[in-house]
Amino acid sequence: MRVVIAEDSALLREGLVRLLEDRGHEVAAAVGDAGALLTAVAEHHPDVVVTDIRMPPTHTDEGLRAAVELRRHHPAVGVLVLSQYIETTYATALLAANAGGVGYLLKDRVADAAEFAGALERVAAGGTALDPEVVTKLMRASRQTGGLGGLTPREREVLELMAEGRSNAAIAEAMVISSGAVEKHVASVFSKLRLPSSEADNRRVLAVLQYLRA
Amino acid sequence: MSSTAGPRDSEAGSRPSAGGWSRPAAGLRTLLGAPFSRRAWRELLYAVAGIPLGVAGFALTAAFLGAATVLTISLVGTVLGLVLLMTGLRVARLVSAVQRVLASGLLGARLPQLPPHRSARGALRRVDARLRDGPGWRAVAAAILGLPAAVAKCIAVLWWAYGVFSVTSPVWWLMFRNHPAGTHLSPVHFGGLAVETWPGTWLAAVAGTAILLVAPWLVHGIVVAELWLMARILGPGELAARVATLERSRSEVVNEAAALVRQIERNLHDGAQTRLATLALHLGMARDKLAAGGPAEVAAARDLVDAAHAGAKEALVELRDLSSGIHPPVLDNGLGPALENLGAGSAIPVRVTADLPERPSPAIETIAYFSAAELLANAVKHSSANLIQVAATSPVGGPFVLTVRDDGRGGADEAAGSGLSGLRHRARTVDGTLTVTSPPGGPTTVRVELPLHP
Repeated sequence: MRVVIAEDSALLREGLVRLLEDRGHEVAAAVGDAGALLTAVAEHHPDVVVTDIRMPPTHTDEGLRAAVELRRHHPAVGVLVLSQYIETTYATALLAANAGGVGYLLKDRVADAAEFAGALERVAAGGTALDPEVVTKLMRASRQTGGLGGLTPREREVLELMAEGRSNAAIAEAMVISSGAVEKHVASVFSKLRLPSSEADNRRVLAVLQYLRA
Repeated sequence: MSSTAGPRDSEAGSRPSAGGWSRPAAGLRTLLGAPFSRRAWRELLYAVAGIPLGVAGFALTAAFLGAATVLTISLVGTVLGLVLLMTGLRVARLVSAVQRVLASGLLGARLPQLPPHRSARGALRRVDARLRDGPGWRAVAAAILGLPAAVAKCIAVLWWAYGVFSVTSPVWWLMFRNHPAGTHLSPVHFGGLAVETWPGTWLAAVAGTAILLVAPWLVHGIVVAELWLMARILGPGELAARVATLERSRSEVVNEAAALVRQIERNLHDGAQTRLATLALHLGMARDKLAAGGPAEVAAARDLVDAAHAGAKEALVELRDLSSGIHPPVLDNGLGPALENLGAGSAIPVRVTADLPERPSPAIETIAYFSAAELLANAVKHSSANLIQVAATSPVGGPFVLTVRDDGRGGADEAAGSGLSGLRHRARTVDGTLTVTSPPGGPTTVRVELPLHP
């Protein structure tokens, strides 16, 4: 997997490079701001990009804007956005219309190298990786409006993992149940929430997220 | 109040002071020298310039407002009337501005500056804001009073003219000695004095001298009275001025607090948070390596743990600096030790004296501490001093005073560096003051005066 990294802290940038190279990925470029990120993507055509949100010069959301632009002009390049905070509005901006090839994770997640690399690989392959924090926030909002009333605790758990962008197999592994059981729960969630069922993971994510955001 | 009721006398003896009366010789010199003092001439010039200004200001303002009133009442020209009304207010403001320039230019007297009228969005609201323009209406009152003031000035100026003409009447007599018989040469009718003979001209000269001696005092009296009145009319009330000051300092405090919180968040985000994320990354990788278990992996894991260990220590330093920047713990022991501590870390030797019989409020201590820190940093950066003296004192019953003095090259410019003005803002939030004395070549002394308890 060819990766371009944009992170303004040299320390963390080096750490990310080390983590990814350690796992056999190729880091084509590691840069410190959004402008350099766009240039590097145009030059190296990576499989996936890891970018911080707050970067120079304004230290606000230039990374996010770069990510949105990349998704528009380089739809083949997966974009994983890292942030110190979780803002559901950022998630909305990233996921607008298409949940494929995009990720939004807390920076904390780099502590678990395997999990982080897994999420990155998922995004590079056109999947979705949404931080559990984002999903929790969305679920909380939905629960308050009563949208999840009919779900059992198990089904809710499945819904959360689906919203994070995980496949049935990954959900089965995380919940330590058989994939057949997962499929049953998924079907039940979709029928209870009256969502159109879909086989493709990323379309499934989008449907779930749209439901949660509504 | 910042406005002066009368002119500040730049030269001693331009008005009868208590000292003047107690020493007759000096008093006499004052009296006799008055017509020749520079002050008297300036006041005369001010009076002369004030006559056309006063008349024109009155005439224009009255014309605009009068026409506006008539038009508005007639209901036909309400819009035009409103426009005229607003123009009248503008003219009155302009007249005040000109008078302000005259007073400060010629007399060094400060008339209050009118605050700009409130800005508003939308035509109707703008009109409303213009019409309910309190300072503008005060300017109108001043312009109306400008007419009687101009008349008074006119009389005073004529006194000068009479005086000069009378004093010189022997000259006129000689110049026009061939005048036809029976011609009255009578420039001065003051006191019924008519000059018809050569000795009579000398009598007129004596009378003229007396008039000239009195004239500057008349002008002075009128000018002082006018300035006093104008200051009362144009200046906001004491309470309003206080409110304006408080509003300004409050908005400064609010903005500064918001900026400070933002700065703290930024420091945390870019500093400790990022360091800890990196640390977690290193430890996570190390854990995976150890789980793999080969000798090469263990060596790599040790490497990663070393990096994590170093990162943890750096994060600690960063957090400590950040938290002491928010509230220095050393302040808990009082300002004296805190300043000592501050001085000990300075690149230029610092001598600290603290004489504080009563401990100031925590807020004052904090302001003083950060002011001292900033001033020390400034001195180290710019002064090339050999010694910096920091003194914190609070005389019994007096305010708290912090002075930072260096023997460096001086020339500190408040406009150039924002540091000093920031400190001044901070002092002002508690009704404190900051004064900078920094002549080129030094020494530089900055004095911060704060109330003990805000």
